[in-house]
Amino acid sequence: MSDPILSFAQVSYTYRGDWLQRVHALKQVDLTVEPGAAFGFLGANGAGKSTSIKLVVGLLFGHQGDIRLFGQPLGDHRLRARIGYLPEQPYFYDNLEVGEYLAYLARLSGLAPAAIAPACDRVCDLLDLGDLKRRKLRSFSKGMRQRFGLAQAIVHQPDLLILDEPFSGLDPLWRARFKDVLALERKRGATLFFSSHILADVEDLCDSFAVIDHGTVLEQGRIADLLGQAPLALTGAGPRPDAANDLGDGTWRWTFPETERAAVLAGLGGERTILRLERQRIALEDYFVSRIRAHHAAGKRLPSGQATNAGDPS
Amino acid sequence: MITTIAWATCREAVRSRTFILLLVIYAVGVCLSRVVGWISSTDGNAITASVVFTLQSLVGVLVAVATGTALVHKEIQEKTLYTVLSRPLPRWQFVVGKYFGLCLALAAGQVAMLAIGLGYLWLTGAEVTRWLVVAGALTVIEVLVMAAVSLCWTSLSSPLLAAVLGLATYFLGHAVASLPGLMHHLKGWHQMLAVSLASLIPNLGHYTYRDQAVNGLPIAWADVGVAVVYGALWIALLVTITVGIFRRKQL
Repeated sequence: MSDPILSFAQVSYTYRGDWLQRVHALKQVDLTVEPGAAFGFLGANGAGKSTSIKLVVGLLFGHQGDIRLFGQPLGDHRLRARIGYLPEQPYFYDNLEVGEYLAYLARLSGLAPAAIAPACDRVCDLLDLGDLKRRKLRSFSKGMRQRFGLAQAIVHQPDLLILDEPFSGLDPLWRARFKDVLALERKRGATLFFSSHILADVEDLCDSFAVIDHGTVLEQGRIADLLGQAPLALTGAGPRPDAANDLGDGTWRWTFPETERAAVLAGLGGERTILRLERQRIALEDYFVSRIRAHHAAGKRLPSGQATNAGDPS
Repeated sequence: MITTIAWATCREAVRSRTFILLLVIYAVGVCLSRVVGWISSTDGNAITASVVFTLQSLVGVLVAVATGTALVHKEIQEKTLYTVLSRPLPRWQFVVGKYFGLCLALAAGQVAMLAIGLGYLWLTGAEVTRWLVVAGALTVIEVLVMAAVSLCWTSLSSPLLAAVLGLATYFLGHAVASLPGLMHHLKGWHQMLAVSLASLIPNLGHYTYRDQAVNGLPIAWADVGVAVVYGALWIALLVTITVGIFRRKQL
């Protein structure tokens, strides 16, 4: 099996404020992002998402523990040639034009001079920036800046795309377009690592995820596994079991976890008819909120990767 | 990488409104300098030339302090450096590139000011000697030293405080030039202390040959050489300090 694209092993990070003030932003974080994955990093404001990302891209340093990028320890700035980074609410120089700004950042990423113009044209086409190449960025709206932000992140075709809240400030049409562009990047072979508050986007795009809260990773896993833990809903006719809800039309619905499937089906008997058996959909947002609340209620760190009653987010 | 950053910084700086506004203020000041020449009881042309060159220095230093103090701090505050430093670029190259870019923009502004100033003097009938050009060129170096001073201060403090400290350094730097004349008043450790403190500040007296040039007196090439080397050493020291601080900065 190939090395993870990105891994955190027992990583802690403390911000030093004035005098003796210390803020423990990350506490023994373990994370693994496999090559080709689309990894969603979930957490509330101040949970430690941006701190983790800043450590990876070299804006912060001085962490404890081991962070490996492409299998190598952080520190060699040349590794960043393989990263594309879109910061949260990106800001750009006001007085540079789109075309020259993209070329500037492409050159800094190490693209050969001959490859810069085609690379800029490619991303401008992808993000409809072609007609805006001569425009200065100070005239851009938030959404347009976000488009430029994604363009500069992918202009050098990085192996790892790190996106901090990539969909913020986008209208629905551009959200869909961003998803298309990110799907293209994945098809090209890029690994996606992004944080988002909009959990529906994570559900749509990601195949793996981690939940972080107060600097602690609560859970990491595959979205498919999480969705597989969703409860089953059985709609039936005939005598209503005690645990089932009456639907009022002579039918009833019984919801139970996957682990009870065999026992429930065996106990139905011959007088009841199964009309439909389906898996309920877990709303990632509900799940996320339930995990954070459980963590706060417990007042302590939950073991990473621990399976919980994912099927019942309430 | 350094040249790439320098070009982008220069382009960004020369297109900024502050930069253009200060150039306009300079041009207006140059036009008004004739009024000072008219009302002076001495040689009107010399007074006009003196005002023109003093304006070049003052406006140049103001631009250097204003842009130098904002250069890195503004990037941190507005997070524009996130998309730059997340690329395969060591931080020292970023700082050096930013400084060189600022130098390019300042030098372009200073050359424009010098051209406007000399053109105006020529149009008004004043004699334009090569010593005026040399004095103007030394002012350019003074401005570049002040840009390094501002860059260094801004890495240690807020832009506002850095601007105040930058301007204080400018005035102290000119005061240091008169220190040798005061030395005979000091004895023993007082003298040593004064010399030690003065050595912490760049002596900007090396660049004030304006009055000499305005009065048609030649400038020794050895003095020009010393001024260039002295300025280069101070710039190297200040940029190195800034790099050392910036490398440890958490962004």
